[in-house]
Amino acid sequence: MARYLLKRLLLAVITLWILATIVFVIVNVLPGNVGRQVLGGFASEQSVTEFNHRIGTDKPLLEQYGKAMRNLVTLDFGVSYSSPARVTTILKKDLFRSMKLAILALVITVPLGIFAGRFAAQRKDKLADRAIVMTGLATSSIPEFVTAALLSYFLCIKFKIFYVFADPPAGTSVIGQFRYLFLPALAMVIVYFGYIARMTRAGVIQALDADYTRTATMKGLSSRRVMNRHIMRNALAPTITVVGVQIGYLFGGIVGVEKVFNYHGIGLEMLTAIKNHDIPVLQAAVLCIGIVYMIATLAADLLIAYLNPRVLMEVKR
Amino acid sequence: MAEVLGVTMPAGGTPVDGPSAAAPAASDRKLVRKENWRLIRRRPGFIIGSLVVAFWVLCALIGDKIAPKDAFQTTANGVAFPVNHGPTADFWFGTDRSGRDVFSRVLVGARDVLAVAPLAAILSVVAGTVLGLLMGYVRGWLDNVMSRLVEAFLSLPALLIALLAVTTQGNSRWVVITVVAVLFTPIVARTVRSAVITEADLDYVTSAKLRGEGTPFIMFREILPNVTGPIIVELTVRIGYAVFTVASLAFLGAGPQPPSPDWGAQVSLSFNDLNAGYWWPTIFPALAIATLVIAVNLVADAVQSVLSA
Repeated sequence: MARYLLKRLLLAVITLWILATIVFVIVNVLPGNVGRQVLGGFASEQSVTEFNHRIGTDKPLLEQYGKAMRNLVTLDFGVSYSSPARVTTILKKDLFRSMKLAILALVITVPLGIFAGRFAAQRKDKLADRAIVMTGLATSSIPEFVTAALLSYFLCIKFKIFYVFADPPAGTSVIGQFRYLFLPALAMVIVYFGYIARMTRAGVIQALDADYTRTATMKGLSSRRVMNRHIMRNALAPTITVVGVQIGYLFGGIVGVEKVFNYHGIGLEMLTAIKNHDIPVLQAAVLCIGIVYMIATLAADLLIAYLNPRVLMEVKR
Repeated sequence: MAEVLGVTMPAGGTPVDGPSAAAPAASDRKLVRKENWRLIRRRPGFIIGSLVVAFWVLCALIGDKIAPKDAFQTTANGVAFPVNHGPTADFWFGTDRSGRDVFSRVLVGARDVLAVAPLAAILSVVAGTVLGLLMGYVRGWLDNVMSRLVEAFLSLPALLIALLAVTTQGNSRWVVITVVAVLFTPIVARTVRSAVITEADLDYVTSAKLRGEGTPFIMFREILPNVTGPIIVELTVRIGYAVFTVASLAFLGAGPQPPSPDWGAQVSLSFNDLNAGYWWPTIFPALAIATLVIAVNLVADAVQSVLSA
């Protein structure tokens, strides 16, 4: 177990390092003049030079890289350009708000997707199965901001069930907040439940055919017990991996959803940072999301190992 | 995300000797291709999907000629169009906040996304195929290092990296194409690699080696023609994701700028007016994006279910 954990941890750290390097290459190494691109064609030569000096693209590359890595390790990304606050302080608050939204979306998506996938697998190739698969395929291919805009029109403006702005007034109770956050979360649920349903469906269909399922049935276990104890336990591994991986995509899509619903999370903060030419905040936000994502995949790997100890044996081999 | 869904199932052991282990003759390949194409064409998903895609491609090519109004004009014959006016017989999809005809803008806007997304997908498939052939056939340290890199790449928040790249490197068409292509390349490389690895063990590759053929010849002339199936599937799937990514970037401001009729840009410009009841400048471009991505995915799904059967 310790060895498996260590291996996964190492992989996560390497991935984070690669992400940080890519971010560094994009901002500091590529030949494009960042100051010129960010400030636009009308900015004076002097302000462009000043901008580049401030983000440090005029220093030796190695020194810049060292600083970038130091920032990542200490989780201190310096001071924001557009406000006197430290980048970390700003992002901590935003990240917390985005996490609330992301977790709500996941809490709805995962059970729904697993249920739909299992339901479809039990009716393989029947009408209900085809309907679930096709709906999942269609909805998961639409960008989040499109579903968000459509939902916001139909459920907020036409039927006035939910609020157009997702930001609850200060002091709203947890239940009250739910009514604000539900719709943005739903926009993401629609996009993500299809993947999870398809993954679960494939897993269940495979497990239904497996020898252990036949054995369990022959032992005389009830079909419900076979489903819950034997099939789902095995079928869920790929689903959990997908959920782990999806957290990364979720945070990509959350930016558009936050923009549509005007929810002040890390996504909206990134867009504000772009508008304010606040490159440190933008860079740090990408890295923060990377960190959240690493933790999520790590947790998913551990959960799989717990559910299915055979995974650990593979590592030993 | 096909790469997530397609958790590669273990290939069914080493291929047995026999007809399947030999290189299919070129004429057989042609026959199989013809048969596959026939099977794909018969799928209802493919028919509907390709009709919708064809419609949008037509709009991208000649949208400005068939549009009833100019996508950028706010007046006709010196008379200003009504602003934020709902759909009427004259303005089918209404007018936007500047008085431009939304219907014409939706037709013309097809060009912005279709000039970028398919090209990005094609570039990523070409680069990913070369990389995947190298990784799968040459193996060794190159494969080891590249595989780790690909794994890391797959777990990165692609849309956010693209957003950062377009912000700092400029939002021209070519920057968007390059960024999306680079982000998709590792995904394609992984798919091609696993297809190549199964092929590399087959007899026709061994006999090519014994004939003394060079590595590039074996990679591109022997193996490549036999892995076109997964590559075509990958191409159709990637086009879908490219449209998704390019539209999202445009909505976030990293793409065509106003007054461009790009769909994402249109939604971005008008969604704040939803609140005031002006739904048409947002909903119609949003539906245009939805129909295009769903159609591309229907085609991809049909191609996939025939070619990977």
